[in-house]
Amino acid sequence: MLERTTEAIAGLEAIADDPQGYAQRWKDEHDRKVIGSFPMNFPAELVHAAGMLPVVVQESREAITEGRNLMFEFYCGYTRSLADQAAKGQLDVFDGFLFVDHCIQLLGAADGVRSRLDGRPMLYAQLVPSMDEPWTGEQVREQVGDMREQLEAIAGRPIADDDLAASIALFNRNRALLREIHALRRGGRAPLTASQMQALVKSSMVMDKARHTEVLEAIRDDLVDAAGAAPERIRVHLSGHFCQAPQPALLDAIEECGAVVVDDDLYHGFRYISTDVAAEGDPFAALAAWYQDRNVTVPCPTRVQRDVDWDDYLVDALAASGAEAVIVLMAKFCEPHMLYYPELRKALDARAVPHLLVETEHEGLPLEAFRTRVETLLERVRRDRDLVPAGAPA
Amino acid sequence: MSLDVVSKPKPNRLQSTRAAGAMVKEYWDRLFTAPDRGAQVVWYNGSALNPIFQAAGIEWCHGEAFSARLAAQHLEGPAQLAGEEYGYVGELCSYARTHLGCAVLTQRGKESEQSGVVGMVDQEVLASKLPSPDFFVNAYAGCSTGQQWDEISFRVFGKDVPLFKVSLPMLWAAKPDAGYLRGREWDNASRYVARQLHDLIGFLEQMTGRPFDWDKLRESMGYIKRAAELRREGMELCKGAPTPATYWDWIASIAPINFLPGDQALVDYFQGVRDEIAQRLQDGTAALPGERYRLYFDGIMNWNRLGWLANKFAEHDAAVVVGRYTHNAFWQEPHLIDPDDPILGMAQHYLLCPTNHGSHVLEELMLRDCADYGVDGAVFHATRTCRAFANPQHVLATAAQRELGIQTMFFEGDVADDSYYKDEVLESRLEAMLEAIDVRRMAA
Repeated sequence: MLERTTEAIAGLEAIADDPQGYAQRWKDEHDRKVIGSFPMNFPAELVHAAGMLPVVVQESREAITEGRNLMFEFYCGYTRSLADQAAKGQLDVFDGFLFVDHCIQLLGAADGVRSRLDGRPMLYAQLVPSMDEPWTGEQVREQVGDMREQLEAIAGRPIADDDLAASIALFNRNRALLREIHALRRGGRAPLTASQMQALVKSSMVMDKARHTEVLEAIRDDLVDAAGAAPERIRVHLSGHFCQAPQPALLDAIEECGAVVVDDDLYHGFRYISTDVAAEGDPFAALAAWYQDRNVTVPCPTRVQRDVDWDDYLVDALAASGAEAVIVLMAKFCEPHMLYYPELRKALDARAVPHLLVETEHEGLPLEAFRTRVETLLERVRRDRDLVPAGAPA
Repeated sequence: MSLDVVSKPKPNRLQSTRAAGAMVKEYWDRLFTAPDRGAQVVWYNGSALNPIFQAAGIEWCHGEAFSARLAAQHLEGPAQLAGEEYGYVGELCSYARTHLGCAVLTQRGKESEQSGVVGMVDQEVLASKLPSPDFFVNAYAGCSTGQQWDEISFRVFGKDVPLFKVSLPMLWAAKPDAGYLRGREWDNASRYVARQLHDLIGFLEQMTGRPFDWDKLRESMGYIKRAAELRREGMELCKGAPTPATYWDWIASIAPINFLPGDQALVDYFQGVRDEIAQRLQDGTAALPGERYRLYFDGIMNWNRLGWLANKFAEHDAAVVVGRYTHNAFWQEPHLIDPDDPILGMAQHYLLCPTNHGSHVLEELMLRDCADYGVDGAVFHATRTCRAFANPQHVLATAAQRELGIQTMFFEGDVADDSYYKDEVLESRLEAMLEAIDVRRMAA
């Protein structure tokens, strides 16, 4: 990979690691408002079309201290970190928050954050998690209308159809570029580590979209030029880990063990970039439809939909990428994931796909123990390939 | 036995609540024998949809109630083990984990399989008693896990059993006009849920092949309204000190108001409770002789420790007089119910679950209740796997200290998993809080 590409990715990684620092610089430069949102379904195009910077608030790497006065220890790392950042005054750059996801832990964290906002708005427009009811479409369109109203009040200006259409086009372009790069990885040809891929996606959640797209175009061009043959390593699919990004050290350890991550359904991965908003027609209706469409593209256990199965999606994704094993990264205390995991396990067991469940924690995992578990998984794959020499110890 | 043990005060529980045991047993027995009678069975979670099921002529199995029942009888272990064996992680909601474990056992029973870990004896006790569902209905307020729970049961049963979902929006109360029973958010949500209840009734007509009995629903809601009024009257009578009934008496009365049929027996039960409380007031009989402290209890019940907790607080002369789970739930606003046209009032009660409000509203309700009941301190049951109840507790505790100047304490436990309860923690923190109340009183 070219040095300039490595540097560009490192630049994005630095921004992704300090979203509030970036937001403050953007605010100083543009003299406009910054709106925070929480994962995973907020249509950020609306904020952009209102002339503000949308930022998906990220899990901080800092140890959780003051947030303990707002959230119990039996909550996921993302929600505890959110409360901790609020308690430490690290969310002061945001002029308000708007979120749409009904996760019980997220609601608790948002309420805790709300108690520390000194009057800044913490708005909630609940998108119905039941995706296939006769009334779902209408209800989501109503909520998009509600979001529009609330954001216009914060921005002090209306959101015009044309502005929203332009924002949608820009966000679609950004997602398309990320999907192109992701496709290179799926083919095993992009010389990009899993943590670098994460930096590309995570920075997209934080940065000015036009600027991010410019950087991404250059990176994409360099990666296409540098694309080589797929390496002879065990192809792995990473599954799970919704609201928070897996720690890069874990991703690096997986690849250091001899695997190559070729696909994922992580929120800080393919889940975030999977689906575009329709460019034609009423842009507000298109945003509402996007909410439903993306659960079909990459099903999410936080949504309830009878005719869509995450387990089937996973099996199909493995066939498409040729991944030989699955590492399920479950953020500790993530209830939707805990509920759905047995269904994934059944599907993978039925097809004899080697897989490993790893519960991750905000405070981190002992890396050597993690490596041992990954190496054991990879060893099983090698055995399945019949690559273990005859007479090797069982 | 030492004199010290003998002299420990015991709560003077209401005699009238004993009838609940027989009524609840009769309900479960009727459910367990539903297949023998050819009756259809619905599995549901969350809101008290039972009057709708009653009018539709089907038997209803409330998942949380079944999990609570197992925990209260200390029979939850095998179901939880089956759930664990299936792949559910121990930090998952213990209500859901227990019930999904039952679903796994029931499904295996259907397929005549045996569990590798859970033996047939346990399966006979639990699973074979719980009839397989003919369909699922989910109507869960506040908790996303509750909303997903039936969808997962649907998958455990191979996606072969019909599932109907009622979506209940969270009442976040962020807009200027929003508040308890008021504002555009409340009005819109009430109408939205009412529309879905009409759709649910259409679904039930399809499932049963019979027209829905609206007269039966009106009759049943008439009984429920009356029972709820009597329940509220009884609670009102407990505002003075010493209290004639405690939180634990209201806990004992949850099953009847939450999922038993709306009928004359229900009204009679709450008439009995209300009358006994009134009689105690007249006679000067206290629920806790020697009441020295009046406490508020926040959090869902720890069903494994029902009697244990009642005794624990009584030993310290602490009367728990009011709580979020008992006083802000279960048809608690009967004036909203119009028996002639009950759907809107039912929808509104489904929204009024005490886990379905933002902390602004919960703060308002808690401060009101603490003031009304003359509370000295607030106890927060930090329920390990019930984040819906645990969510606002830090904010509420801070508000109680700030606005009312009362003492607060937390203790760890869980709704249906006894492994999270630490008795020493409760003991030492309760003693510390009561001492702090004493010090404050002396200073005053």
